[in-house]
Amino acid sequence: MKQRPMLTLDDCKKMSSAAEAEARRNNWNVCIAILDDGGHLLHLARMDGATPANARIALEKGRTAAETRRSTANWQERVAKRIELLRMPEVTPVQGGVPIVIDGTCVGAVGVSGVQSHEDEQIAAAGIKALG
Amino acid sequence: MKRLLFAAVTATLAAGAAAQQPAQPNPRDAVPDKMPFDLPYGSPISLDRAQAAINAAVAESKKRGWKLNVAMVDSGANLVAFARMDGAQIGSVAIAEHKARAAAKYRRETKIFENGVQEGNLHYLLTLDDVIASRGGIPIVDNGQLIGAIGCSGGTGSQDEVVCKAGADAVMKR
Repeated sequence: MKQRPMLTLDDCKKMSSAAEAEARRNNWNVCIAILDDGGHLLHLARMDGATPANARIALEKGRTAAETRRSTANWQERVAKRIELLRMPEVTPVQGGVPIVIDGTCVGAVGVSGVQSHEDEQIAAAGIKALG
Repeated sequence: MKRLLFAAVTATLAAGAAAQQPAQPNPRDAVPDKMPFDLPYGSPISLDRAQAAINAAVAESKKRGWKLNVAMVDSGANLVAFARMDGAQIGSVAIAEHKARAAAKYRRETKIFENGVQEGNLHYLLTLDDVIASRGGIPIVDNGQLIGAIGCSGGTGSQDEVVCKAGADAVMKR
């Protein structure tokens, strides 16, 4: 039987704190969502000043990245070239969702919303980096 | 023949019911003077405080060897923070948020809906928008104002409620 790694709540807290620190360093108020490889929510933190919409969008970016095993930046680029990809079900093709890949296996994703899309991704990446 | 018999039985039942009891007053026709659950919506709970509540709930759950989902919403019923403990069931992710949301929107514990449906036979409660009639959703009150709500799900309703209370008590200032 194949074994696969799995995120723990401690892993999520570590990533979320690191992502939040990255946002704080830049004076950004964002929402950070962490999901498992099935696209189910594991951890969410909406910083003071981030909007209710940010919570929903962060979750959907994260879900897209987790379920498709691709960053939402990749989706955004591909949609720009192939508009028909907008018809893909349950996909939010906006940068800011990054899959977490451990030893070649996607174990989940981080989705961020609140500032410019490339900045959202920067925060998500900072979170994942903290996983080591 | 069959139809005739049915008509006869119906007529007998109706006559029996009318003879036995006069029309009962409907308790829901009573008009109270005051608004129920008149708790003002205050400013939204901060992330720090929301996470403090979640951490307290998770600690209580861990102490008992349970695995739950814990959600916090603000005074607008919007998600602020969430944590799924290792091994908690994924079906309860949405339920935890729903309980928190309903507790904030309706400014009361979701247990009140559960009791209404179970003990009070108030089935109409289930037709109200975004209600969940299951305990484990508690409003967070600060100086007489609602600032958010916490919701727990993943165990029995009673387990959810114990953990939910631990989270709420950690940050509540009545």
